[in-house]
Amino acid sequence: MNVMGILFTNDANIGDLTAKRSIASIPFGGRYRQVDFGLTNLSWAGVHHLAIISRFNYQSLMDHIGDGEEWGLELGEGGLQYITPYANSQTHSYRGKLESLYNALPFLEYGKEDEYVFLVDSAVTYNIDLKKVLADHIKSGKDITVVVKRGVANSKRMLDLAVTLNENKEVSDIVVDYAASPEYLASLDLFVTTKKWLINMVRECMAHNAFHMDRDLILGGWQSGKVSVNAFEFEGITLYNESVQDYFDNSMALLKPEVHKDIFERVHPVYTKVRDRVPSYYGADSSIDNCMVADGCMLGGSAKDSILFRQVTLAPGAHIEDCVVMNDTDIGEGAELKNVILDKNVTVRPGAKLIGTRNNPIVIKRGDTV
Amino acid sequence: MYFQKKRCIAMLLAGGQGSRLKVLTEKTAKPAVPFGGKYRIIDFPLSNCVNSGIDTVGILTQYQPLELNEYIGNGQPWNLNKTHSCAQVLPPYERHDKKSGWYKGTANAIYQNIDFIDRYDPDYVVILSGDHIYKMDYAAMVEYHEKNQASCTIAVRNVPLAEASRFGILNTNPDMSIYEFEEKPARPKSTNASMGIYVFNWQVLKAALIEDEDDPKSSNDFGKNIIPNLLNQGHKMMAYPFDGYWKDVGTINSLWEANMELLGKDPVFNLRGERFKIYARNSALPSSFIASSAKTVDCFIAEGSEVEGEVRHSVVSVGCKIGPGAVVEDSVVMPGVVVEAGAIVRHAILGENSRVCKNAVVGGAYGPGEEMQISVTSKGSVVEENAVLKPGEMM
Repeated sequence: MNVMGILFTNDANIGDLTAKRSIASIPFGGRYRQVDFGLTNLSWAGVHHLAIISRFNYQSLMDHIGDGEEWGLELGEGGLQYITPYANSQTHSYRGKLESLYNALPFLEYGKEDEYVFLVDSAVTYNIDLKKVLADHIKSGKDITVVVKRGVANSKRMLDLAVTLNENKEVSDIVVDYAASPEYLASLDLFVTTKKWLINMVRECMAHNAFHMDRDLILGGWQSGKVSVNAFEFEGITLYNESVQDYFDNSMALLKPEVHKDIFERVHPVYTKVRDRVPSYYGADSSIDNCMVADGCMLGGSAKDSILFRQVTLAPGAHIEDCVVMNDTDIGEGAELKNVILDKNVTVRPGAKLIGTRNNPIVIKRGDTV
Repeated sequence: MYFQKKRCIAMLLAGGQGSRLKVLTEKTAKPAVPFGGKYRIIDFPLSNCVNSGIDTVGILTQYQPLELNEYIGNGQPWNLNKTHSCAQVLPPYERHDKKSGWYKGTANAIYQNIDFIDRYDPDYVVILSGDHIYKMDYAAMVEYHEKNQASCTIAVRNVPLAEASRFGILNTNPDMSIYEFEEKPARPKSTNASMGIYVFNWQVLKAALIEDEDDPKSSNDFGKNIIPNLLNQGHKMMAYPFDGYWKDVGTINSLWEANMELLGKDPVFNLRGERFKIYARNSALPSSFIASSAKTVDCFIAEGSEVEGEVRHSVVSVGCKIGPGAVVEDSVVMPGVVVEAGAIVRHAILGENSRVCKNAVVGGAYGPGEEMQISVTSKGSVVEENAVLKPGEMM
């Protein structure tokens, strides 16, 4: 089965974490970036062609992904393409996913032998067997399949796309941008369809100045009876990183063995860019308690309930608790941090004290000194 | 096919059994033995090559090559998979003139691959072995060789006089030119021990290899035959002094020691730093997880490990599990090892994917001055529940 993948980097602004990067580039889970999860899922599905669609801030992403070799992507000719705005004739940035897909038409039409296409977004993290999703899509005979998750909707959270299912597991309602009640299943922003159908729909929607994928194509199409929608219910754990608070909560959730296991081992391992760091060194006076620690760290102080990315230095006498510490950050002697997200390359001076709260974590921006 | 001419290529002798590593090399060639949490011994010479600007490496394999070949693969982790670079595995092969078959010795291994080397028409060939842990800039050694217009340059290090009789000793003139080579001399005249790292002018080496092959009495060995022969023929041979960290990890004790020398705030051998990185094939494993019940003191813990017990003064490699209440002390835990709850491991090397079951005891503790014995589990072996593997025992 020839399949291709389209990966959206998601350019939503979620505060300081996305100041200089797209959601896809946010470091997450100790040694990964958000995009690694989507890339790995696609790699295991055996995609031969892959487009990465980004509105801006794509430089760090291109540096990270390179030719995709480290994700085991076995790409055919013209395998990996970055679709950036202004690549074609438009003179503005994308207004919605359909418009960006319109821009990607040359890519979609390129892989002649490809029959199916996966559309993946970077804001949601999960470990899924896409081959099963594809099989379900083919069996359903519907135009497009959306992957959904029960238990995310709670009447408070705004959901991009949510559906209800009847007793035959058929879609009985679709809503967009709505604080849906708990019986709704939330979209993972993951779709599978045929390439031919997608190309036709993108052309038709753009001709009618409709550019919003969820609202115009899925909801609008389903309501008017033009589009048949199948829903695939995903049983695994999904982590939505749509705000700084989400990011913090999801990071802390990874410290729970059942979440950790599901995200990193459910179907396959997760790949990322190799950095060739040495194993982390735990000093004679260090104390590490319920933490995830990546390679290359130099640990002299104490850490509790925290996530330490690659090459973090924790000086003797420093104490951190409920913190997310990204790559190459140095924490000085005697510093005390609680409920803090430290972005990459941050320097925490000796003796500094930063105390956030569980529901209002402090974020220190990339490269800052505190 | 077009091959770019190279000034210098490297040939890495990786075919030895490493029998002194006993059970650790029963199913694994010595260069593929894990080291330092996420590396294998061969990563050191390979990374040294890349860091020295040598982008073409022939790797001679013979003993238990499966794992080694798989590990080297296309050379991608060391960036040796580009259009004009390679990490080429060279196993023994059959030839029309019967001058082939198993590699009879180190020199014969190179002899059988003269065609491989000739494709690159190199000025210099660096001969390396896959037995040592060290960081070295081979480019500086080649410069030294070229500047001295030598036919052959041998890296040497100063060893204590008492130990000199265990090595090949090079006796040199004040200008470091070699006038005599003695293999394991009873009464050493100097303390310049050969490190088994050679730079040759390729044309000189090629002629010497052909000549050596025609001598039925030769044991086709660099140390025993090629070096003494070239010296007798009056070739200019230089000793290249090296004073950095260098460790022969050919025995259980030295392998254990070298691992321990990575530990500490200022370790004897420092792997850290951006300069002269050591590259390794990476396993796609998540960060290590250190549970609340864990104690991790003065140790290396590589990615993908889960620690619930106590780890002191040890190297824990990628993908290991140390269960609750387990104690691992003064030990080397190779990749994929499981130490179950309540087990105690002291002064041991636990081979890849081996398992120490509940409440089992491996090895023992030593007081100062006591002679230490390392216990070893072989790859994939299992120490049963409540069983005891005594100090110095192997499984």
